[in-house]
Amino acid sequence: MAVPVEEAIAALSTFSLEDEQPEVQGPGVWVSTERGATESPIEYCDVAAYRLSLSEDTKALNQLSSLTQEGKEMASVLYTYRSCVKALPQLPDSMKQSQADLYLETYQVLDLEMSRLREIQRWQASASSKLATDMQRFSRPERRINGPTISHLWSMLKLFDVLVQLDHLKNAKASIPNDFSWYKRTFTQVSGQWQDTDSMREELDDLQIFLSTRWAILLNLHVEMFRVNNVEDILQVLIVFAVESLELDFALLFPERHILLRVLPVLVVLVTSSEKDSESLYKRVKINRLINIFKNEAVIPAFPDLHLSPAAIMKELSTYFPKFSSQTRLLTLAAPHELPPREAQEYPLNYTYQRHYLIVNHIGAVRAEHDDFTIRFASAMNQLLLLKSTDGSDVDWSKEVKGNMYDMIVEGFQLLSRWTARIWEQCAWKFSRPCKDASPSFSDYEKVVRYNYSAEERKALVELVSCIKSVGSMMQRCDTLVADALWETIHAEVQDFVQNTLASMLRTTFRKKKDLSRILSDMRTLSADWMANTNKSESELQSSQHGGEESKANIFYPRAVAPTAAQVHCLQFLIYEVVSGGNLRRPGGLFGNSGSEVPVNDLKQLETFFYKLGFFLHILDYSVTVATLTDLGFLWFREFYLESSRVIQFPIECSLPWMLVDCVLESPNSGLLESVLMPFDIYNDSAQQALVLLKQRFLYDEIEAEVDHCFDIFVARLCETIFTYYKSWAASELLDPTFLFASENAEKYAVQPMRLNMLLKMTRVKLLGRMINLRSLITERINKIFRENIEFLFDRFECQDLCAIVELEKLLDVLKHSHELLSIDLSVDSFSLMLNEMQENISLVSFSSRLASQIWSEMQSDFLPNFILCNTTQRFIRSSKTVPVQKPSIPSAKPSFYCGTQDLNSAHQSFARLHSGFFGIPHMFSIVRLLGSRSLPWLIRALLDHISNKITLLEPMITGLQESMPKSIGLLPFDGGVTGCVRLVKEHLNWETKLELKAEVLHGIKEIGSVLYWMGLLDIVLRETDTMNFMQTAPWLGLLPGADGQILPSQDGGDSPVVSLFKSTAAAMVSYPGCPSPASFHIMSKQAEAADLLYKANLNTGSVLEYALAFTSAALDKYCSKWSAAPKTGFIDITISKDFYRIYSGLQIGYLEESAQVQSSSPERLGDSVAWGGCTIIYLLGQQLHFELFDFSYQILNIAEVEAASVVQTQKNSHFAVQGWEALLEATKKARRLNNHVFSMLKARCPLEEKTACAIKQSGAPLHRIRFENTVSAFETLPQKGA
Amino acid sequence: MARAGGITNAVNVGIAVQADWENREFISHISLNVRRLFDFLVQFEATTKSKLASLNEKLDVLERRLELLEVQVGNASANPSLFAT
Repeated sequence: MAVPVEEAIAALSTFSLEDEQPEVQGPGVWVSTERGATESPIEYCDVAAYRLSLSEDTKALNQLSSLTQEGKEMASVLYTYRSCVKALPQLPDSMKQSQADLYLETYQVLDLEMSRLREIQRWQASASSKLATDMQRFSRPERRINGPTISHLWSMLKLFDVLVQLDHLKNAKASIPNDFSWYKRTFTQVSGQWQDTDSMREELDDLQIFLSTRWAILLNLHVEMFRVNNVEDILQVLIVFAVESLELDFALLFPERHILLRVLPVLVVLVTSSEKDSESLYKRVKINRLINIFKNEAVIPAFPDLHLSPAAIMKELSTYFPKFSSQTRLLTLAAPHELPPREAQEYPLNYTYQRHYLIVNHIGAVRAEHDDFTIRFASAMNQLLLLKSTDGSDVDWSKEVKGNMYDMIVEGFQLLSRWTARIWEQCAWKFSRPCKDASPSFSDYEKVVRYNYSAEERKALVELVSCIKSVGSMMQRCDTLVADALWETIHAEVQDFVQNTLASMLRTTFRKKKDLSRILSDMRTLSADWMANTNKSESELQSSQHGGEESKANIFYPRAVAPTAAQVHCLQFLIYEVVSGGNLRRPGGLFGNSGSEVPVNDLKQLETFFYKLGFFLHILDYSVTVATLTDLGFLWFREFYLESSRVIQFPIECSLPWMLVDCVLESPNSGLLESVLMPFDIYNDSAQQALVLLKQRFLYDEIEAEVDHCFDIFVARLCETIFTYYKSWAASELLDPTFLFASENAEKYAVQPMRLNMLLKMTRVKLLGRMINLRSLITERINKIFRENIEFLFDRFECQDLCAIVELEKLLDVLKHSHELLSIDLSVDSFSLMLNEMQENISLVSFSSRLASQIWSEMQSDFLPNFILCNTTQRFIRSSKTVPVQKPSIPSAKPSFYCGTQDLNSAHQSFARLHSGFFGIPHMFSIVRLLGSRSLPWLIRALLDHISNKITLLEPMITGLQESMPKSIGLLPFDGGVTGCVRLVKEHLNWETKLELKAEVLHGIKEIGSVLYWMGLLDIVLRETDTMNFMQTAPWLGLLPGADGQILPSQDGGDSPVVSLFKSTAAAMVSYPGCPSPASFHIMSKQAEAADLLYKANLNTGSVLEYALAFTSAALDKYCSKWSAAPKTGFIDITISKDFYRIYSGLQIGYLEESAQVQSSSPERLGDSVAWGGCTIIYLLGQQLHFELFDFSYQILNIAEVEAASVVQTQKNSHFAVQGWEALLEATKKARRLNNHVFSMLKARCPLEEKTACAIKQSGAPLHRIRFENTVSAFETLPQKGA
Repeated sequence: MARAGGITNAVNVGIAVQADWENREFISHISLNVRRLFDFLVQFEATTKSKLASLNEKLDVLERRLELLEVQVGNASANPSLFAT
């Protein structure tokens, strides 16, 4: 070989195999699943090489092992047996003639199933007889062959266990006799035509007896065993072995422990039912020890959903074994279902079952053990890695590190075994005690599983499962890393024992005892490795032998090779021989010291080594052991209950693994969330069991179907949880801090942090051998949820009026913030993209958007007709007189579509409610921010078109009004006083027949005014935004605000600061020799120039209001000739009556009168926008002066003032003249103030002198005007208080 | 035979055992390294998978963005008149 293996393997470690994914699942990949060392991979055929005359024993041992294997298969056939009868079809009456055919078909179907049962019957008969023969052969007092060895004893126990389980299962399965009787019926129908049916009938009868007799297998075994009456000895040995192993509980992993527990009661029954002295057992094992074991382990798991109870078994068997019925002490034990509830639950003084079986009572300790173990294991691992990376390390240190690792592995196995056994036992306990307070409608399975686990218990179970799985995967991962260290340690242990301990024993205690010392030296022969030091160099040998010579012990050198199963087998056998002297009848226990020739000290050493040897095999079978110990697949299986409930399958709510997932998702304790994938490992395990252990395809299919379903639900629910969490997090961050500070219970708005990010990193979830990219699934769904949410918000807005825009913005902000938070862990689509998508605003050539068109249609249909303006507060409010517009009802959604939780929703809603009653500056801000520079122009355009449409619409109506005006109207005479004037005005305004027209014109003018005022608000908001932008960009662009809104460059010529900064940086970087990529700096400086250009171009944006006014003016130009007659003389024509201002004047006085009459009782009908509309048109038509001179109401006001003045002069009859007109006069005064305000505003923003200059460019952009004349502040003319 | 044990040819067995230890050292060395190779492959697969997954994710994002751009360009080029100044 060109490349040494070591080096090649070491080279692999140079690959970077780092992985972002956290370990939150159990081990999924098993490197080795072949037969492990515990059941010698070569069936002990190498035992013969040691020449211990064990060939008979080995043969028997292998026979038993293969029987056990077959038996397990039989048991899985029996366990997964499902009744066929239910599936058999019945014939309708019309087809009675083919009944015979149906019988034949049915018979053929059932025959296949029954042949399996027949096979089981045959097998059990042969297995029983073989077991019995085996026992008899090896338990003769006059022994002719060596054995039984310890492995042999184990094989017997295992076969025994299989037989007992099979029997138990046969008793429990009710459908089998059922199917059988159907089979028999069809057989009698079918066999009528057959020739020779006697033998078949006989066989059938046999089978029927077998199937219908309880404990048939055991009874048969009993008969077989006691055919020759000398098996008590070996039975006693088995009992002693079982009891001692159970009591010591060191070398047993839980599967073996359960085997012993299951077998023990049956063994006891068999021994005591023998013909001979039944009490001889108790001479070797005190009955109290047995009772203790039976009492402590009241229920023993047998099959996933089937348990055994020693007490119940013994009670039942006592009717079959009359001799046993005298064992009253064993028979008075209470079976678990008979336990009184007090003792079962809360008996505080004594040992209680509930405490023992329920995981919830141990979870604290488990947690502590888990944490402690994980830390120590990791540190041992680190030490080992350190050791491997240093060459030529110290021998002692290396031995210590490896020994430590070995100890950790042993501890890990024991922990795993204990924990998994806890789960098995809790399950068995729960199955034995169904939930009491269940309603009768619950099925049996629901009673024992679904309603039998409290929330606490489920949580504890999840935690324990994740402890098991995480420790399991941790140990599994380092399999090949620790393997040689483990072999080396085991090798050292064995060599230390055979080379040192045995040597000293041989020198001292056994010197005189020839027999025993021969056995000891055999042990040395068959396992000592004397030459392990050969590959060490001489010098090392010398140096390390220094210490050795003093302690006079043999020094041996590490070799990373473990003993074979056969060696362990022989060593155990020989130790047992030394201790027992090959005498089965020897009283006392296995290592009991009574009557032994071996001194206590040595006995202790032998015993320790004996049990250690047993454990070595588990360690050699590293990955198989881990797999067995972490296998939790049994939690899914429910074949027994399926049969008794007569259903095909239970709904997934009854499925324990799903209950655990559900519990994690529901649980408010977010700490469990990291374990949410662990229950899916249960499915993995059970699928594995279904395929490999039970070998049933249909079970796998059922599991797969359930997993598919569960995983879908799981992902959906998980995404919802994630979304809700991030949403509420964002919402709580966006809450006003002063509100939170003032709030009394601000805690309810705080969000409990959840560790979701590790779930978001899972790209490989192992599920039934598939790899699932959970992260991409989540991303996909979250993208969808975001879109749905945006959609929902728009839907919601569309069902409300324009005032809801503030709420919409707020909710979108929350959504956007949660998107930001989530994007840290997950690559979600960009928010603006999603928003554009949902706004239907993706196309480059469309400028409207869903929102803009909604705002526009809302303005058109609701806002403009139904809202009235209040000039003082700068707000529009809904007029009380209008009919409400019909809207679809607001769609409802989950709280997560608003702000996450209920509390946050109500908090945010109370903010939104503040803005829901009016439309003002905040709403305008929201509109500007939501529409942005893209759709806003579209909206402005739409509104301007609306103005021009309105004007076109108004034109014929105004013509109509003009027609009914008199030819000429003079100034109002003073002599009539106010009353006279009013009367005169009414005579002039002969509009009685045109009331509707009048109202319509007023509405039209109001809408125009509303739009213009709306533009004014928009202008204010845009100004503010622009100023903000300017402040931010100006320093970079090198601009200074000058006087009169001019913008001056801060320095003459040259580049702006941003450009020069980047240029100089680029120059400096390029000149630096070590610069990696000079081109990128050049690009950056180019980009700075581009930015400079772009931002400079954006600076001088025009005023929207001015644009709107210019537009209106242009729109009015068409009607100028109709609405304002140019005076022929060139002077102001006083009597002219057809001008627009006359019409408006008439409308205004009528409107004022109306409002004066109803003023006190109800608010204004049209609001202030009429004045805005009317005055703007007048102003733009150039009729402002005419209006101010000849307006009816103004004239009346003047007359009233004169009258009042004359009244003051004459000092009498005060209030006489204006009596009755106070309300009208007051309204007129108000109107005049408002009109003046509007006019001054218009003069400021649209000076008529420059009307031509303030034109619109070809492209549609307004020309910006910098200089203003008469810039009277609009607010000076606001009405004063009390005026 | 009262006692078990008694290896019939102890010396030969001893020599064989010694040879066995050495042979098995070689075997276990090889088998361990094969397992390490296997482990490496498993781990390599896992890492590669997650790297591919992250690559895929980036591609997904790009793809969606490209799709959007395509729509926009298609839209724009369908109306060339809008861009003629």
